Amino acid sequence: MTAFLIRRLLWMVPVLFTIALITFVLMHAAPGGPWDRDPGRRQIDAGTQARLNEQFGLDKPMWRQFLAYVIGDFDGEGEFVCGAICGNLGPSYRQRGRTVQEILFSVPDGKPFWQSRFGYSIRLGVFALTLAIIVGIPAGIVSALRQNSIIDYTCSFIANLGVSVPNFVIGIYLIIIFAVTLHWISVVPRSWAELKVWIIPAMVLGFGTMALTARLTRSSMIEVMRQDYVRTARSKGLRESSIVQVHMVKNALIPVVTVLGPALAALVTGSFIIETMFSFPGIGREYVQAISNRDYSMILGTTLVYGVLIAFANLSVDVIYSFLDPRIRLK
Amino acid sequence: MSRKTLLHTIVLAVFATLALTACQPETVVEQVEVTRVITETVIEEGQSVEVTRVVTEQVEVEVTRETVQIAAADPTGASKVLRINIGTYPDIIDPQLSSFANEIGHLQLIYEGLTKLDAGLETVPGAAESWEYNEDATELTFTLREGLKYSDGSILNAMRFRDALLRNINPATAGEYAAITDEVLGAAEWRIGTEEVSVQGEEVVKASVQALDMSGNACEDYEQEDCRIFRINLSKPAPYFHTVMSLWVTYPAKAELITEGGPNWWNSSKYHVGNGPYVLQSLEPFVRGNFVPNEFYWDGVGNLDIEFSYLTDTAVAFQAYRNDEFDIIILAAEDLATVKVDPVLSTEAVIFPGSCTFDLEFHQLKEPFNDRKVRQAFAMALDREAWVRDVYKGLGTPTLTFIPPGYPGYQEGETRWAYDPEAALQAIAESSYGSVENLPPIIDTFGDTPRNRVRHEWLVAKWNEVLGVDIELNPVEPTTYTALTKDIETAPQMYILGWCADYPDPQNWLSVYFRSTGFVQDIGYSNPEFDALVDQADTTVDPEVRMELYRQAQDLLVEDSPVVFMRNNVNSYLVKPWVTGIVTTPQDSIWPGAIDPIGIDIDESLMP
Amino acid sequence: MVRIAKAETTTLRPREEVAELPYPSTSLWQDAWQRLIRNKAAVVGMIIIILFVFIATFAPFLAPHNPLKINDGLGYLPPAWVESSAAGVAGDSRFILGTDTIGRDVLSRVIYGARVSMVVGLTPVAIILVIGSAIGLLSGYAGGRMDNVLMRITDVFYAFPNLLLYVILMVTLRDTTLGRMFNGLFLLFVALALVSWVGVARLVRSSVLTLKGKEFIEAARCLGASDKRIMTRHILPNSLSPLIVWMALAIPGMIIAEAILGYLGLGLRPASDPNAFFITSWGSLMLEGQSAINIQPYILLVPSICVGLVVLAFTFLGDGLRDALDPRMRGSR
Repeated sequence: MTAFLIRRLLWMVPVLFTIALITFVLMHAAPGGPWDRDPGRRQIDAGTQARLNEQFGLDKPMWRQFLAYVIGDFDGEGEFVCGAICGNLGPSYRQRGRTVQEILFSVPDGKPFWQSRFGYSIRLGVFALTLAIIVGIPAGIVSALRQNSIIDYTCSFIANLGVSVPNFVIGIYLIIIFAVTLHWISVVPRSWAELKVWIIPAMVLGFGTMALTARLTRSSMIEVMRQDYVRTARSKGLRESSIVQVHMVKNALIPVVTVLGPALAALVTGSFIIETMFSFPGIGREYVQAISNRDYSMILGTTLVYGVLIAFANLSVDVIYSFLDPRIRLK
Repeated sequence: MSRKTLLHTIVLAVFATLALTACQPETVVEQVEVTRVITETVIEEGQSVEVTRVVTEQVEVEVTRETVQIAAADPTGASKVLRINIGTYPDIIDPQLSSFANEIGHLQLIYEGLTKLDAGLETVPGAAESWEYNEDATELTFTLREGLKYSDGSILNAMRFRDALLRNINPATAGEYAAITDEVLGAAEWRIGTEEVSVQGEEVVKASVQALDMSGNACEDYEQEDCRIFRINLSKPAPYFHTVMSLWVTYPAKAELITEGGPNWWNSSKYHVGNGPYVLQSLEPFVRGNFVPNEFYWDGVGNLDIEFSYLTDTAVAFQAYRNDEFDIIILAAEDLATVKVDPVLSTEAVIFPGSCTFDLEFHQLKEPFNDRKVRQAFAMALDREAWVRDVYKGLGTPTLTFIPPGYPGYQEGETRWAYDPEAALQAIAESSYGSVENLPPIIDTFGDTPRNRVRHEWLVAKWNEVLGVDIELNPVEPTTYTALTKDIETAPQMYILGWCADYPDPQNWLSVYFRSTGFVQDIGYSNPEFDALVDQADTTVDPEVRMELYRQAQDLLVEDSPVVFMRNNVNSYLVKPWVTGIVTTPQDSIWPGAIDPIGIDIDESLMP
Repeated sequence: MVRIAKAETTTLRPREEVAELPYPSTSLWQDAWQRLIRNKAAVVGMIIIILFVFIATFAPFLAPHNPLKINDGLGYLPPAWVESSAAGVAGDSRFILGTDTIGRDVLSRVIYGARVSMVVGLTPVAIILVIGSAIGLLSGYAGGRMDNVLMRITDVFYAFPNLLLYVILMVTLRDTTLGRMFNGLFLLFVALALVSWVGVARLVRSSVLTLKGKEFIEAARCLGASDKRIMTRHILPNSLSPLIVWMALAIPGMIIAEAILGYLGLGLRPASDPNAFFITSWGSLMLEGQSAINIQPYILLVPSICVGLVVLAFTFLGDGLRDALDPRMRGSR
């Protein structure tokens, strides 16, 4: 097991490097640059632009810029500035004066890590996943046990509603219902310190995952229900509830648990629309903006952070799977 | 440990972490009002007199609590708060580096320039109490007010303004609006000259921008109270420069704080010590920005705190407004009709002319728009009334000229190239193409957003209706669009662009934009006669002669019709009825009343 | 004398004719079909899908108005049954579901929108299934080095931010011939497929891994079946179940992905020619409707409901297919 883990962790390095390389090449291939502001604003004159390019090292050859980002380079004064391997994710071109790692991870004075932009995104993802599991798994189990009944269809229907109607539609109607009509919460959260303002954004974000979880649990339970060992347990005379709990659910949950890691990663990296609608201080919105703004460091830096997150999530799939299913051997 | 136990432990740990992260005890910074009584001894007419002042301060206190209650208006319950949703969160709030309206909105509260604008868009004294040009307008001297202070009580003198101007010109700063102070002697050389030229330029600029004391000697330090003369030498006559000095790029942020805070200084309220009507108390990125009145502001102390929110979804903001969570929001075109018929909301709409003109640009060197007749045909085929009424739902006014109403240099009664379908067809017939069939393929390029799509689909359909021409729609990703329009090689055949005033002077419209060395370089427009007129107008001191010259230039411009003038925007907001004292001007593109926040008040008896 | 009747003479007959089957023999597919049509929900799903395909194909005949026709001054009309909208305007019986910002009929636009949404739902999914299954099968069955390498390649794609890939592809290739084909849809399919194939590959691979160790595979190998035959005849049909579940969720995902890409300026290119095949999509309509939600919510609601219906249809059909095709159910009634 340890050998496997070490090998996979080592594999992450070339994977991340490849991701960085592909991202770098692609984003520089896109037309426009970080100084092309949106058309409603005044544009920089050519002289200033040249000056800025020099300042940020954008006038150097591509290969040099890439290596400078990943490993490091000598700056104007001849000092070596370390790159991504030292955790320096580069300066933001849009938010001049801030580095990417500051934008993502810094906290206002004295506050804990969870208050950073990245921390907020993680919290929202975790919350959404929790809601998805709490609702999705029982729904899937019940659906499977009462297959093809009205309960099955109803659960299916509700689960699929979450997936079929796009989240910006669900989001705005939930806001209208709960804030404007019922006045249970305010439309715009006063402070994200309160738990109840997290519920609707987390619900809207997690709807898709909830549907996926419910469906997966259901189909997995159905498969398990047809297995021979269930029949054996029944013929042994065990109580139905005990059979359900001990034999069926545990085994049915295997495929479900394995997707939780990637699901969390997807939630954390995919919250852009929710963040816009709820004015949520996460990094999804900034990331999409960065791509539009051609903020190269921000794009590369956030991509690497996401990459690490997803790589760990994928690793968790194999590890957890091996724990749960003794037939799988990790080599 | 067996597999099972290990698994259970992991699961338990995971859920424990989930539970912990979800309920964090929050450490909150609260504002507590502290009242101090200060007794001073003052010498008055040879006698010492005790004077008592009562000072109320806001002190920050950190409080840790399990939950934070939602307050409908404000956490302390003591001061009134004006809650405004201004839309996008700023990228950077630095006087010499900001360029976007929202960023400027923050700066205008925290700082103030030597001059400012009043409700009628006249340039009036700000931090300076008066100014004077020399005979040929190549030297401008400001006299600062006496006793100017920063919000922390320290002295503000002319050296600070010198610092700010130098910082704006300094090529190391590289701000987007650096070029706007290029009239300063030596500025252009320092900024964009090559090595030697740049070094020389730097020396020239440092000599041209002077902070002097009342006897005319150079100031020594920031504490010098009689350092109140600020003199600028200009490279050519520029009688409008006092208006340029009202812009945010001249705002005097403290140099030592900028250095102390490092490149990221602007992100913390502790480094933003300014001389404006408000103080930045706290900034929560993408969530909230809080301002409290600056008690040291020379023109008085504000009546309320101001709070900015950064919600970009207009539909959600509208709901929040109806729910009494905002006092001022931007009114979007989609919601205008709803507001108009609502008996309550219609009284809360505040709509006033804006500072922008939107025009359809033609590439002057690419076919078929190198032919003036074709350009005029397209201009006459456009029903601007319908454009504003149907596509913008009435938010805006059609225009046939460049400078918008309310701005100096506006020409009323322009009728050339108005909507006239027959004349349009006639113009095509008179052009070098003869008829629509001979026209080369025409492509309408625009930045792809849902609203833009609808707008351009409308345009293309209408031109087809009137002229019978088939135009291809070419939506491009917005940043690509900007990149394309910045360079004459890649600029599209036709595309829409807007120009908004930086300051209310025809120079900012005609010279900066349409002079052949200005922004029209990107479409290849060049008219030597026009250039000559605006050059002369720029340097004429006599205001009447100046305006006449600009009038002639604009006349020529409209006749030339390099672009199709389409629409002037309007600023549209919803303002709650208990907010009083809002004075609006076309330059208030960020929130209504920004021009004079001190005068705004909230009548609490009208609140629900 | 004993007489021998001719009828009593017997000849040897093949064994099959002797044993009588309780029901006629069927192939796997016929069997599956029978089971499928007994699943009511799946049948409803099929009907809905066929209905929408019909609408999409015959849109010009079904739409009451030209979807591009601008009706001046009739913007934001509510549906015909509404007497007073938020703006105090009454509906018009000519425009059953009301009009959009510049007065175009919502119903006609939704009908034409079905075209893009049906196509964008199905085509990339087909491409992904082919690429993903091939790689997943290969990787899982071959194991060892090849598996490792292929999985690391999928890791790279997996960790790649989807949005970045979409933007780059669309932005860079948009003005090329590739980008103009089918109003930009072809490029959209390629982008969607390139991003999502990893999911299928992993699914198939994990199925294969589970099945590889099973006895019937061993048995087949003993009987001398070639690898190719094992992969196609034995493993693939048994791994269909998770694939079908995936497909039922992927199709609406594609439809919504098109909507979100349009939001960022990267979707279908708008058509100005009423004779073009693809005029608009449900995704574009939803985004246009989002800012108008306070005044004419139907611009947003109607396409959303259509998307919902199509999704549900595919879901029920998918469930039905999975149940029907499960080889373990073969022979059961």
